[in-house]
Amino acid sequence: MDKSKIVFHSIALITLVVVFLFFWYLIENTHTEIGQQPTANSQQPTADSHLYLLLPISLLAILLGVACAFYLEERLPPTNWFRRLIESEVAIFTGIPSLLYGLLAVEIFVSYTLGSSGQGWGVLFYAEVLTFIVLVMPLTIRTTQAALRSVATPIRESAYALGASQWQVLSNQVVPLAFPGILAGCCRAMSRALAAAALLMGIHTWGYTHETAISAGIHSRYVLLLVAALLFSTFFSFLKENPT
Amino acid sequence: MKQNVKTKIEISDLKVHYGNKPALNGISFDVYENEILGIIGPAQSGKTTLLKVINRTLEFTADATVEGSVKLDGVDVSTIGDVYGLRRKIGMVLPLPVGLPLSIYDNVAFAPRTAGLRNKAELDEIVERCLQQAALWDEVKDRLNALGTKLSGGQQQRLTIARALSHQPEILCLDEFSIAVDPITTMRIEEVLKMLSTEAKMTIMLVTNLVQQAKRLANRTAFFLNGNLIEIDTTDVIFSENPANQITYDYVNGNFG
Repeated sequence: MDKSKIVFHSIALITLVVVFLFFWYLIENTHTEIGQQPTANSQQPTADSHLYLLLPISLLAILLGVACAFYLEERLPPTNWFRRLIESEVAIFTGIPSLLYGLLAVEIFVSYTLGSSGQGWGVLFYAEVLTFIVLVMPLTIRTTQAALRSVATPIRESAYALGASQWQVLSNQVVPLAFPGILAGCCRAMSRALAAAALLMGIHTWGYTHETAISAGIHSRYVLLLVAALLFSTFFSFLKENPT
Repeated sequence: MKQNVKTKIEISDLKVHYGNKPALNGISFDVYENEILGIIGPAQSGKTTLLKVINRTLEFTADATVEGSVKLDGVDVSTIGDVYGLRRKIGMVLPLPVGLPLSIYDNVAFAPRTAGLRNKAELDEIVERCLQQAALWDEVKDRLNALGTKLSGGQQQRLTIARALSHQPEILCLDEFSIAVDPITTMRIEEVLKMLSTEAKMTIMLVTNLVQQAKRLANRTAFFLNGNLIEIDTTDVIFSENPANQITYDYVNGNFG
């Protein structure tokens, strides 16, 4: 990589971090306004504690997605029925707007249990996790598959012709070439996940309305998380700009 | 001569289809040990497919079906369990130069490393020998750690030849190796091929579009057309005034194709 590119990337990263810290500061400050309200009267967790779970959950979903893409692309032939099934499902899932995911999550994952038992906070948490995984995984699978496919067939063939095993071909040739693409895909999935975080707050809001009124601070959180998602996708575009 | 030479590869009734499209229609011939076999023929005649069947890289083409048998040293290649060992016996040079995304040194050392060789001194020696055989050593000896893909097209092609030689194969398959190589270097590589055949006792299968190259190098020449083996005979006969088929004569003399 030439020097100008490194400088360019560093500037982009530093700007990103500064802006992100600024917004994080804002989020921390709004915390005091609405944090008390739900915790004061019951053992219900605040929306913030869920916010801290976003990162590990999305990492988990991304890892699962990458693993899944590797399995589909490298282990199964293109004609395999299972691969074709999954690929068409993935194509459908990546096309669905995240708002619909939120509605579906509320409708499918939450309503049943929340309606019947009334002790819905744990369920709400699992609903979030599941929605997240369903939201992030298809996008990761798709971008990772595209990145793996972008590695030219002759490179694989010549490596195989030299007597390399599949693992050696993957670790020595394919992954180093596809890595920027996979990283960019993960970043994109991450930005979608952050946008979806706003949506998860929406699920929460829906949960709150069962007992309390919508807190004023939540709207600003929507905006903040969407801004964070925007920043992430900006960073993603910088990554993408570096083709191999 | 034919009586006292050993058969290295025995191909019998080999049929290959890509989906419904036939690529090879039941061809049978033998490749003798330690010979240079030239394979000529126009595009779409199944030459590359034949090489892919021998080292079993055709398996990566999802819709390809193979019938018939290819025997290497009397063993059917499709039944060999250690396919990686099989591929190490066969050096393959593809028509377009494919530099693996590694340094020049690592490109050549890739195959020995996958076979488990870790000794630095031995690797150094292999890299130098192979690069010299591929007539590339003098140009790259000062920048062995540069990226292989940064070399020019012709240099990359010679790099793939060095790579194919690095695991000391018994059979060397060259698929139009001279496509991006300048004439002088081509001549140098041809000298090396002759040397490999006579001194290193390597069996060489040379697929080429340059008819004269087959004439210069090959002991025997096979002429393929539309997936059929039209004729296989000693190079002298193929390039003489009266080969067995008129169509061979026409192709060799540039009347078609």
